[in-house]
Amino acid sequence: MLQVEGLDVQIRSERGTAQILQDVSFAIPRGGTMGIVGESGCGKSTLLRSILGIMPKGAETPRGAILFDGQDILTDRAASARGRIGFVPQDPYLSLNPVFRAGDQILEIMRRHAPGSRADHKRKIVELFRAVQLPDPEGALRKYPHQFSGGQRQRLLIAAALACDPALVVADEPTTALDVTTQREILALLRRLVAERGLSLLFVTHDFGVLASVCESVTVLYAGRVAETGPTRQVLDDPRHPYTRMLLACHPDRSADLSGIPGTVPAATAQPPGCRFHPRCPIARPDCATAPPPLVALPGGRAVACPHFETPLPENALA
Amino acid sequence: MPEIIGAEALSVELGAKRGLLKNRPGVTAVDGVSISVNEGETFGIVGESGCGKTTLARTLLGLQRESAGRITLQGADVSRSGRVGREAVQYVHQDPGAALDPWWRVGATLAEGLKIHGVADSAERQARIRDMLAAVGLDPALAERYPHELSGGQQRRVGLARILLLRPRVVILDEPTAGLDLSVQAAVLRLLRDMREKFGLTYLFISHDLSVVRRVCDRVAVMYLGRVVEEGSAAELFAAPRHPYTRALLAAAPRLDGAETGPALPGDPPSLRAVPSGCRFHPRCGLATPECATRDPVPETAGPGHSVACHRWRDAA
Amino acid sequence: MTALRHIFRDPVAALGLLIVLAAVVIAIFAPWLAPYPDDAFESHLLQRLRPPSAEFPFGTDNLGRDILSRVILGTRSAITVALSVVLAAMAIGVPIGLAAGWREGWLSEVLMRVTDVFLAVPQLILALALGQLIAPGIGAAMVALSLTYWPFFARTVFAETRRLRGALFVDALAGIGAGPARILFLHVLPNAAPAILVRATIGMGFTILTAAILGFLGVGAAPPSPDWGLAVSEARQHLPEAWWFPTFPGLAILLLVLGFNLLGDGLRDAADPRLRRSRR
Repeated sequence: MLQVEGLDVQIRSERGTAQILQDVSFAIPRGGTMGIVGESGCGKSTLLRSILGIMPKGAETPRGAILFDGQDILTDRAASARGRIGFVPQDPYLSLNPVFRAGDQILEIMRRHAPGSRADHKRKIVELFRAVQLPDPEGALRKYPHQFSGGQRQRLLIAAALACDPALVVADEPTTALDVTTQREILALLRRLVAERGLSLLFVTHDFGVLASVCESVTVLYAGRVAETGPTRQVLDDPRHPYTRMLLACHPDRSADLSGIPGTVPAATAQPPGCRFHPRCPIARPDCATAPPPLVALPGGRAVACPHFETPLPENALA
Repeated sequence: MPEIIGAEALSVELGAKRGLLKNRPGVTAVDGVSISVNEGETFGIVGESGCGKTTLARTLLGLQRESAGRITLQGADVSRSGRVGREAVQYVHQDPGAALDPWWRVGATLAEGLKIHGVADSAERQARIRDMLAAVGLDPALAERYPHELSGGQQRRVGLARILLLRPRVVILDEPTAGLDLSVQAAVLRLLRDMREKFGLTYLFISHDLSVVRRVCDRVAVMYLGRVVEEGSAAELFAAPRHPYTRALLAAAPRLDGAETGPALPGDPPSLRAVPSGCRFHPRCGLATPECATRDPVPETAGPGHSVACHRWRDAA
Repeated sequence: MTALRHIFRDPVAALGLLIVLAAVVIAIFAPWLAPYPDDAFESHLLQRLRPPSAEFPFGTDNLGRDILSRVILGTRSAITVALSVVLAAMAIGVPIGLAAGWREGWLSEVLMRVTDVFLAVPQLILALALGQLIAPGIGAAMVALSLTYWPFFARTVFAETRRLRGALFVDALAGIGAGPARILFLHVLPNAAPAILVRATIGMGFTILTAAILGFLGVGAAPPSPDWGLAVSEARQHLPEAWWFPTFPGLAILLLVLGFNLLGDGLRDAADPRLRRSRR
C-alpha cells in the first residue's frame, strides 16, 4: 500500500544544512499497521510530512521515492493520493478552527476530495460520527470545536480523516495531548476502525506501550535513520539494535530504577559520521565511526542497521 | 518525620470575575482537600487534566488565594497570606523554556532571584550562581547565553538552578518529565533525587505519568475533580489500589506486552461547572450503587497511612 | 539583531529603512546640505517662480526662494515635529497601557474607556480648537496630535501586557517573589518593545502626514517656516503654471510617509511571534 524507499530529506537553515532523514525505507502492506517510533529529533514528523506532501520550509528536493498504491507521490503530488490518505493530527486542541462548526470543517474537506452532493456528504459524516462514537451524531454537526472535550475532538478528527474513504490513515501521536484513560479509548477506537474498514495505518509515536497496543509492525528511527524494523512483538520482546535494546531496557515496565541512555541525541546539523548512534553506544567499535551500517535482513521479516547486533550489552550500559 | 507543609479542608475558587459592570461566578477547582507532607519526602499528586492538582500546588505556593481552609508551613499558619512568608516554598514550571524571560541572559535571570531575596553583593551572587550551575550539571559559561540558545534539558536544569539558589525547603515540581524522552527522563529524575539529598529538600511532585510517580514518590495522593480520592504510600497504592478511579488510571497506562488489564474508564471527566451529586466519580464508576449518587464519601482508613474516599472500596478488591 | 536581518531580507522593508535613514541624515545635516541655506527664508522677488534648472534643481517659489533648500530644511522640521509628537504620545500611552493591562478591575476599565474616548476625538477638529484656544501654530498642532495619538500606544501596550501577563515566565517571576514594578518595567516592557517600536514607526509616518495637512489648512506651521504642507498650500494660487512649486514638497511628504509605513510593516513582520517561533 505504502512503500518508502531510500528517502533523504535535508533542510537548509541559518545554522547549516540539517540531514533530517537519510536512506529511510519501509513498507506497509494493504491492511497493515506500521508504527514509526523514535525520540524527539529522530525525524518522524518530517517523514510524516513527506508522506503527506507538506514539506517543511527550507527543505531541499528530497531524494528517494514514496510509492502509494504503486504511484510515486513524492515527485508527483497531483497523483490520486490527495484525499486518499487520511491524517489524524497530534493536538486536537490546535487542529480545529474554533470559528467554524465541526460539520462544516469536514464538509469543506469532502467538497474538495470526495464526489457526491452536500446532502450525501452530511449523511456520510453523521454515519462517521456514529462510527467514532461521538454522542449525538446529528447534533455534533452543528457544534463548535470548543463544545467538545479533548477526547471527543480527537474522535472528530478521526472522523475527518476517514471522510474521503482513505486507503491509508496517517496518525501523528494522536494521543499525546490526552489523558491516559482517554488515550486508551482512542486507541481502542483506532484498532477497531482499522480492522472493520481494512485500513492501512501509519502510526507515529514515541511511546512503546502505545505502539504495542496498536501496531503489527514497527520501524525504529534514530537521528533520521532506520535503526531496526520488524513485527512489533518480536522487536519489543527481542530487540537487536543497541539503541532499541537500551531504550526498552529503561522503559518503566522493564526497569525499576532510574536508568537512561548516556549522552543526548545529536543535533540535526551535526550528525556524527558512520553509525549515528556510535557516540552513545557501549559496544561501538572503531569501524562504526567510518561508514553508516546498512540494514541487515534477519529471519521473520526483521532488519537491523547494526553489524554487532549479536554482541551482548555490558552490565553498566545504562546510566 | 514532622510535617513541613500541609493543608486542611482547603478550597479554591477559580475564574470568578468582578468587573465594573458584570460579575461572574467561578468554579471550585479544589474542594476540601487535606494533605500533609513530611519533611524530606517526595509527595506525589496525580490525576487527569482538570482534577485540580496544579491549582492545589499554586495555592500552597501562595500564587492562588484559597477561599476556605488552612495552610501550614513549618508549623506556622500561612493561610491567606499570599506569597508573603512562603519563601521556603518554590515552584518549578512544567515548560522550562517558557518560564525564562527570552530577553534575559541565563546569568541575569539567575541573579534576579538572589537580588529579590536580598543578596546585595554582586560577587557573592556570581559565586553562588557558578556553584549552582555546576551542581545541576551545567557549564557555568552558559550564564552568558539566552534561553533560546539552550537545549530543552539545559533549560530544565536552569529552571531548577534558579529555584534552588533561593534555598527553599519545599519544591513543587509541576510535571517535571512532561515532554521528555524516555532515554533522558532518568537523568532528570536522578538530578532531582540528588538535589533533594544535597539540599535537604521536600518535593511535591505533580504528574499524570504514573510510572514516573511510582519510581520517585514516597507517598501519593490521587485527585479527581477537585477532591483527593485516595492517599497512601506509593508502594501500597500501586500494589493495592483501593479506589475504582485509581484502579482505572493504573489500568489505562499502555503496557509493553500490549495486554490490557481491567476495564476501560468510559467517557470524560465531567466539567467543574456541573459536579455530580454524591460521589463525584459515580457516573463513570462500574461499582456505583444508588447510594453513591446521593451520599458524598468521606476518607476511610484502608491500611496503615492509606485512606480512600469510596463507599465500596471493600467490594473493589 | 535578528529583526534587522529580517528587514534586509525583505526588499520592501529595506527600501523603507533606506528612505527613513536618508531622511534622518538629511534632517541632521540640513544646513550643510541645502544649497542656499541662508537665502531659504528671504525673498528674492527677481527670481520668483523659476522652473527647475541647474541653479535651482527644484525651481523657486513665489518669493524666489530655492525649493530644494526649503524641502531639505523642511525634512528637519517634519522629523522633529513627528518625533516630539510620538515621544509625547508614548510617554502618556505606555504607562497607561501597562497599568490597565496588568490588573483586571475598575482601574483598568476606567483607563481603557478614557482611552476609547480620546480615540474618538477627531484630530483636525481638536487641532483647530486648540489653535483657537491657545495660539494657532505648530505648538498647538503638536499638542493636538500628541493628545490624539497616545491612545494607539495605550491600546498596543495594553494588549501586549495582557498577553505577557499570562506568560509562564511572568508567572515564574511572581513565584520567586518579584514585585509588580520589577515585572512590569524589567520584563514586560522589554518584551513589549518590538510592538511599541512598530507602533512608533507607523506613528511617525502618520504624524508627518497629519502635520502636513494641518500646515496646508493653515493651523500648523506658520510662514516663513519651510513646512511641506504649508508650501503645497501656498502653491495652490500659482497652479498650473508653477507645477514644480507644490510637486517637490508634496513628493517629500509622500516619500517620507511611505518610508515610515514600509519600515513599520517590515518591523511588524519581523516582530511577528509566529515568525519568531518558526526560526527557532
